[in-house]
Amino acid sequence: MVVVGVTQIKEMYSNMVTARHYEERLREEYLEGKQPSFDISAGPIPGELHLAAGHEASGAGICQHLDNDDTVTAPHRPHHIAIAKDIDLKRMTAEIFGRKTGLSKGKGGHMHLYDPEVGFACSGIIAEGCPPAVGAGLAAKKRGSDNVAVAFIGEGAINQGAFLESLNFASVQNLPVVFVIEDNDWAISMPKGRVTDVSDGSERANGFDLPGYRVDKDDAIEIYQAASDAIGRARDRSGPSLLEVQVHRRMGHFMGDAEGYRPDDDIEQANARDSITRIENDLESQGVASDDIEQIRSKAQNRVEEAIEWAKSQPKPDPEEAYTDMFSNPEEGVTGGKNTDNVVRGDD
Amino acid sequence: MSNQETVISSESLWPEDAAEDEAVITNWFVSEGSAVDRGTTLGEMQVEKVSVDIVANTQGEVDEIMIDEGGELSRGDPLARLMIE
Amino acid sequence: MSQQKAAERQLTMSRAMVSAIAHEMREDEEVFYMGEDVADYGGIFDSTDGLLDEFGRDRIMDIPISETAYVGAAVGAAMEGMRPIAELMFVDFFGVGMDQIYNFMAKNTYMSGGNVSVPMVLTAGVGGTYNDAAQHSQTLYATFSHLPGMKVVVPSTAYDAKGLMHNAIRDDDPVVYLFHKRLMGIGWLPAPEGPKTPVPKEDYALPFGEADIKRNGEDVTIVTLGLHVHHALEAASQLSDDGTEAEVVDLRTLVPLDEETVISSVKKTGNLLVVDEDYQSYGVTSEVISRVVEHDSDIVNNVDRLAIPDVPIPFARSMENEVLPDVDDIVASVRGMNL
Repeated sequence: MVVVGVTQIKEMYSNMVTARHYEERLREEYLEGKQPSFDISAGPIPGELHLAAGHEASGAGICQHLDNDDTVTAPHRPHHIAIAKDIDLKRMTAEIFGRKTGLSKGKGGHMHLYDPEVGFACSGIIAEGCPPAVGAGLAAKKRGSDNVAVAFIGEGAINQGAFLESLNFASVQNLPVVFVIEDNDWAISMPKGRVTDVSDGSERANGFDLPGYRVDKDDAIEIYQAASDAIGRARDRSGPSLLEVQVHRRMGHFMGDAEGYRPDDDIEQANARDSITRIENDLESQGVASDDIEQIRSKAQNRVEEAIEWAKSQPKPDPEEAYTDMFSNPEEGVTGGKNTDNVVRGDD
Repeated sequence: MSNQETVISSESLWPEDAAEDEAVITNWFVSEGSAVDRGTTLGEMQVEKVSVDIVANTQGEVDEIMIDEGGELSRGDPLARLMIE
Repeated sequence: MSQQKAAERQLTMSRAMVSAIAHEMREDEEVFYMGEDVADYGGIFDSTDGLLDEFGRDRIMDIPISETAYVGAAVGAAMEGMRPIAELMFVDFFGVGMDQIYNFMAKNTYMSGGNVSVPMVLTAGVGGTYNDAAQHSQTLYATFSHLPGMKVVVPSTAYDAKGLMHNAIRDDDPVVYLFHKRLMGIGWLPAPEGPKTPVPKEDYALPFGEADIKRNGEDVTIVTLGLHVHHALEAASQLSDDGTEAEVVDLRTLVPLDEETVISSVKKTGNLLVVDEDYQSYGVTSEVISRVVEHDSDIVNNVDRLAIPDVPIPFARSMENEVLPDVDDIVASVRGMNL
C-alpha cells in the first residue's frame, strides 16, 4: 500500500474544497432567476445542471496520479474531475454560463466541456465516454508513450453496452486504461439494487481478464491508494483495470430534483459520510496546523469566486456563431442556414 | 345563498417537508362553472420543485378560481371555492 | 355552448397521455411500460406520472440503463403477443439501442413476410428550447420517419396525445410516439398556450395518417408538427392583424403522412411554408414540399421552409434561439412571400 505524503494530501484537499465550493456557488447562481417556481431555462445558467457535491474524493484521489498528457473522460457530473485534472477554471465557468470565451465558446455547456490542454472531455450519454478513453489508450500504446486514460462513469452505466464492450476491447488489446465507477447508489431515481445484478460493480471485471477493486469508503486517501495500483499497472503497460469508488450525492441528480423518491435516512446517511471532513482529519493527524488548512480552503474559495466573477463579465456569443465550428475544415453551404435575415431577435 | 360552499386551501395541500412558503399555480384544468367530482384534479401548483395536485374535496361546481394560472401564492392562501352538490 | 365548454375538464398533454396508458393497461394485462425512472419518479417528463401506484413495479418497470437490452426485450415480448411500451428518456439516446429499433422492431414484420407482428410502442421525449444542448435537445423526426417499418406519431395537444396513444397501443405494428418535452405541462418547463385542451373522459382512438387543420385560412398553408403547431398559431394570429390568414396544418403523424390534406390546402392557398424542429437537410420539410411538387408543381406559388440548420444544437441561449425556428421566423417568412 503506497504511503501518501502530506503534499499530496494537501493538493487533494485543495481540489476537493475547490470542487465543493464551486458546486455550492454554482447552485446559487443557477437558482437565481428560477424562483419562485423552478423554470429550467431561466436565469444566468439555463438548462440542466448536475452537481458533484459529494463526489470530490473520487476526482481528487484519482487525478492526483495524472498529468496533462493523460486523458480523462467524464460523464454529465464532471466538475470535480475537471478541477482535479487542472482544467482552466475560468474558461470552464464561462462555458457553464454560456459565454463566448468559454471552453467551447458557449456551444457545449456544462455537459460538454473539452480542455485538450489538460486532456479532459465530458459528455452526456451514459457510458459513452468509455470508448474514447479506450481510444486514447490505444493511441498511447501505438505511440509507445506511458500515458494513461481514465474513463469515469456512474454505477448506472455499468449496465450499458459501451462500458462492457470497452472492458473487453481494452483488455484484449492490453491498453493503458482505468475505468472508474463513481457509485453514489442512485441512477436518477433508480437505486442500484433495482437495476444492477451485483452490489459490487468492480465484479464486472470478473467476466473480463482484468482486475477489479472496490473502495468502500468515501475516502480520498484510500481512493488515491487504489488508483495508484490501477494507474501504475496501466503505465507499466500491464493493461486495464476497473475501480469502483463509493461516493455520495448531496445535491440530487440535477438541480430541480426534489428527490421525493429517496428515503430521508438515505440522504442523512450519505451526507454524514462527508469526504471533506475525513481528509481534514487526515491532514490534522499528519500534523498540519488548522491555520494552514484554513488557508488552503480560503485560497480555494477565492479561486472559485474569481472564476465566477470573470465568467459573468464575459460577453455572450453572437447568434451567428451558431453556424461555425462544425468542421475543422469547413465546407461551402453546409449549414442549411436561415433565410429570414431581417428578423429582430429579443434580448438574451 | 341556498348552497353550501367549501374553499380549497393551499395549506391542506402543502408538502410536509417543503422549506418554501411560496408557490405558483402552474395549471388550472377547470374553470368557473365546471362540474367536478370528489377527487377530480382541478389544477396543479408548484412548491419549489414539487408539483402538487389541487384536488376537489367534494362533488360540486367550481364557483370561483381565486388565483390565476401563473399567479404566485403564499402558504395558506385559498385557491378555489366550490359549491357543494 | 360556452357553458358546456366551461364544464369540460382540461388536461395537460402528459396527463392526457397517461390517462390513455392507464386505460389500456386496465383493459389488457399484457400492456406494460418499461423505462428509466418511470416507476417512483413517474417519468422524467411525467410520461408515467401516478401509474406506479395503480399498477405496481411489475407493470411500470424501472429498467437498467441498457437501451439495446430493454428495447430489444420489448421487441421480443411483442413478438410473443404482449403489448409493451418502451421509453427512451430522451430520443437522443436512440443511438445506444438503434439496432433493435430499426433492424428488428421495424423490420421483423416485413422480413417474416407478415408472419410476425411487433405490437409495441416506443415512446421518447423530444425537443429543445430550454438549453439542454446538442445531445439532449433533438427531435429526430426524420430519422424515424425515413427508415421503413415504423409508424411515427407526434401529438401537439392533450386531446391528440390521448387519442393517438390509444391508437398506438392498440395498433399491431410498432409505433414511435414522440412527445415534446415543452408541451407536456411540466412545472419546470412551462408549456405555451395551446397544448392544454379539453379531453374527453372516455377512450377514443385517433387514426394515423390524418393531419388536423388547427386553423383555417385562405392565404398561406403552414404545415408543421409538435411544438411548432403552437408557434404557427401564434404567428397566424399576428399575420391576421395584417390581413393575411394562415391555415395551420398539424401533421400529427409522419408515418403515415397525410399528403392529401396538405395538398388540398396548398391548392386553396397557393402558398406553402413548412416548419420543422429537426435538422433541415434530408428531413420533414424536404419531404412535405416534395410530395406537393410531385403531385402538381403548378399549385404552389411561394414555398419556404424553416428548420434547424444542419448544425448540432448549441448550448448558449443566443445561439439556441438562433437555430430554432420561432414565431418571428414564421411571420417573417410569410411576410417575405409578399402575399
